[in-house]
Amino acid sequence: MRKIGKLDWAFSGGRIPFESTGEEPKFNSHDKIAVLNTSGETAEIEIFIFYEGREPVGTFEVEIKAQRLRKIRINDLIDPEAVRLDRNYGCYIRSNVPVVIQFSRMHTGQNANAIMGTMAFPAD
Amino acid sequence: MEIFSNWSGSMTFTPGKICTPESEEQVCELVKKATFEGKKLRVVGAGHSSSPLIRTDDYLLSMKHFRGVEAPDLQHHRAIVPTGMTVKEAGKDLFRYGLAMHNTGDVDVQTLAGAIGTGTHGTGVELPNLSAMLYGVRMVTGTGEIVEFDRSTDEDTMQALQVSMGSCGIFLKMKLQLEPVYQLFRREYCVSFKNCMDHLEDLEKNRNFDFYWYPRTDLCKIRIMNKEKEKMPEIGYGSLELEREGPSHEILPRSRHIKFDEMEYVLPQEKAIDCFLEVRQQVKENFRRDVAWRLLIRTIRKDDALISPMSERESVTISLHHNAGLRFWNYFKAIEPIFLKYEGRPHWGKKHTLKAAQLKEMYTHWNKFQQTRQKFDPEETFLTSYMHELFIA
Repeated sequence: MRKIGKLDWAFSGGRIPFESTGEEPKFNSHDKIAVLNTSGETAEIEIFIFYEGREPVGTFEVEIKAQRLRKIRINDLIDPEAVRLDRNYGCYIRSNVPVVIQFSRMHTGQNANAIMGTMAFPAD
Repeated sequence: MEIFSNWSGSMTFTPGKICTPESEEQVCELVKKATFEGKKLRVVGAGHSSSPLIRTDDYLLSMKHFRGVEAPDLQHHRAIVPTGMTVKEAGKDLFRYGLAMHNTGDVDVQTLAGAIGTGTHGTGVELPNLSAMLYGVRMVTGTGEIVEFDRSTDEDTMQALQVSMGSCGIFLKMKLQLEPVYQLFRREYCVSFKNCMDHLEDLEKNRNFDFYWYPRTDLCKIRIMNKEKEKMPEIGYGSLELEREGPSHEILPRSRHIKFDEMEYVLPQEKAIDCFLEVRQQVKENFRRDVAWRLLIRTIRKDDALISPMSERESVTISLHHNAGLRFWNYFKAIEPIFLKYEGRPHWGKKHTLKAAQLKEMYTHWNKFQQTRQKFDPEETFLTSYMHELFIA
């Protein structure tokens, strides 16, 4: 199968909502990336988190097996350190094989759920 | 002058001199020298503790040259472990002789002597902390004399020495009460918080059981170990995340590459879940903006050491973790009063803010321990300013 996608991705509008309503973890407010790896080899991705007022944090390392999809909640990243909730951040992601990355946010701070999604910016 | 930094990097100081003696005689000479000079001496293990138990401006002594299991006794299941060995090294070496420790914690990078001296533990309602293995000891007192004790003739002294944080003397060798080697079967499951709470009573029947609670998802990971495969429960309400089997010293610890700081309190078994629920509520409401690291809940059998955190009461521990390098005191100090409200005792080697006035109220035999400590260290060579705060005022 063709390798599709890009090696470098980024998004700049990150902010994990602090407030949540509803059953956890299903309705935890979150930012999430969905990574599609159509290639025949494992995608090793490195994530860097950028804040407004401090040095970037990274690398967070995640693997996506060949020809698989993986969804990663930014809330759950803890190594090397937890990503802060309720704080603006940007994100740069690089991969060893081309991948497709979609960004989404679920905000359940009010009972009426809201979800939005967009493509991350393919940087290379 | 060399700066010392502990494992997590949150406790640093500059000792006057770091010493690495290679013989018992050299240890005696160093203690006599420090006592004669009116200086303080502390022993460092692997530096895994994050409370300043070893902080000194004077002599910091490493026992790293004291290694290699001696005198394995397969009839009584005992062996002598020199105090420079880590939990991991001791486990591997004992295994060669057909012996094993009854339990260890998740982390095995500490020296076994440090783990014993601070009352460090694993999990299991029938399993006491690591200090319970201490059958006998050969140590250098604060006057530089070598003395030996064991449980067959010196039960009272051993109860004081068992958890004593190097305050009574420098352990050279420890005679340990062990078990024949055994296999363990391990499974870990991801479960909902509700299912974890609903099944706690059954889960605690396993030889080893503990669970993590994750602040940002409200999920739990339950971890179960048994000696017999047929005793491993099928958990229909969770997803199997890990399954392993092997000799105990390989299955008990889990590899850790992420460093963290930790506060842990030891609670009376009957009050622990109420305490955990209150801590969980506080974390969810006020701290999960910054805190994503899990809380760990473990069970430990009571023991009879004078100042063991599990002394004379069946216990459950709750530990808070935060990534090393991030500010942790706001979080830890906000939760600590909840632990105290439920009669928690702090783990000696982890973060806490207590001093002697509070600590002595927690232990029935506090004064008896202090008398033993003063007998072995009359010149207070091992009593640094932090240890003074901890024991005196």
